[in-house]
Amino acid sequence: MQTAVAEVFDEALVARARTGDLEALEALYRAFEVPVYNLARRMCRTAEDAEDVLQETFLEVVRSIKRYRGDGSVWGWIRTVAASKALMRLRREKYRNADEYDEQGGVGVSASGRADRVHERMDLEVALARLSDTARAVVWLHDVEGYTHEEIAGLMGKTVSFSKSQLARAHARLRDWLVWEGPER
Amino acid sequence: MKDATHTSMEQLLGLRDGEPEAGVADHVAGCEQCANELERLHQSAARLRALPVRRPPRDRWSAVRAAALAERRRRNWWYAGRAAVAFAATLALVVAVRAGREGEPPITDSTGELAVLMEQSQELEATLRAIGPDGRVLNGRAANAVVQLEDQIAWIDARLGEVGRSPTIVPESVDLWQQRVELLDALVGVHVTRAASVGF
Repeated sequence: MQTAVAEVFDEALVARARTGDLEALEALYRAFEVPVYNLARRMCRTAEDAEDVLQETFLEVVRSIKRYRGDGSVWGWIRTVAASKALMRLRREKYRNADEYDEQGGVGVSASGRADRVHERMDLEVALARLSDTARAVVWLHDVEGYTHEEIAGLMGKTVSFSKSQLARAHARLRDWLVWEGPER
Repeated sequence: MKDATHTSMEQLLGLRDGEPEAGVADHVAGCEQCANELERLHQSAARLRALPVRRPPRDRWSAVRAAALAERRRRNWWYAGRAAVAFAATLALVVAVRAGREGEPPITDSTGELAVLMEQSQELEATLRAIGPDGRVLNGRAANAVVQLEDQIAWIDARLGEVGRSPTIVPESVDLWQQRVELLDALVGVHVTRAASVGF
């Protein structure tokens, strides 16, 4: 849906926005506020942080749209700005991350420990929120937004291996936390 | 490999994403446990993509717009303010030199006071630059306060430009520079308060 929005977005409007036209910039905001907020909300822990990311993203769009060359979709450009802003916010914040659960023995348990543990049915959203900030960001950017490990590594200033291992670790945890109902038939 | 018989999570994800390591696909084809795990990973991604879209609880455009306009104004008055500072400093120097030539005390109360105010003004502008207010996210209330303060500073700078054409230092200059310092101080206060409240 988000890609479709980007494809049909009026190029003339983008051109006007690049001149600093506030009406055109508002139209850009209206077109993309929901996908930007959704991305930010899935990556950040709180709604307040996501709102700040939304505002930071569009302030950056207003400031930098002259530098947007039009080589990719405008949504792709705005999404990357939003992802960068969300990652910056995650770096700034001092949240408890899921690694703390490891220390409490809640997550990083052995296979045998897993078998002994009573699995609680956990909502996917709750499980996602319970992941560490980094793992959650990698899962969302890769599995939902379609970023490659190379792109995620670039955004995070990390290696491709880091992105891959974060994704694997996150899926291992989601498997532990969520009741697996088996393949759909 | 995770162990001698099964594939690791990373290998399964590589297979799921179309970048399989050699031998992984063959193993999964003949291993029910790994095939189930691969299916689970496909399902996980599908379930993540199917999560409901979150919508912003409030409209943030007004805050974005106010911040963008404030940046434009700031850019404009920045240049105007610097020009006014340079003009006034030159004028103060000329007045002081002229007074010296005429055998009067080189520094009068007005020029001395003016020099102090101009220095304070420059220090506050340096503080603002150090805070980097362009990158700050402001809530609507703070953004409005910033816009109002910047508007007043822009008016002061315009007035300074007018009185600066006078060949002597008029008393109004001192008042204007005093106001400019107070407004800049308030502007720094808004940004510092906001920065502190978000924990930077």
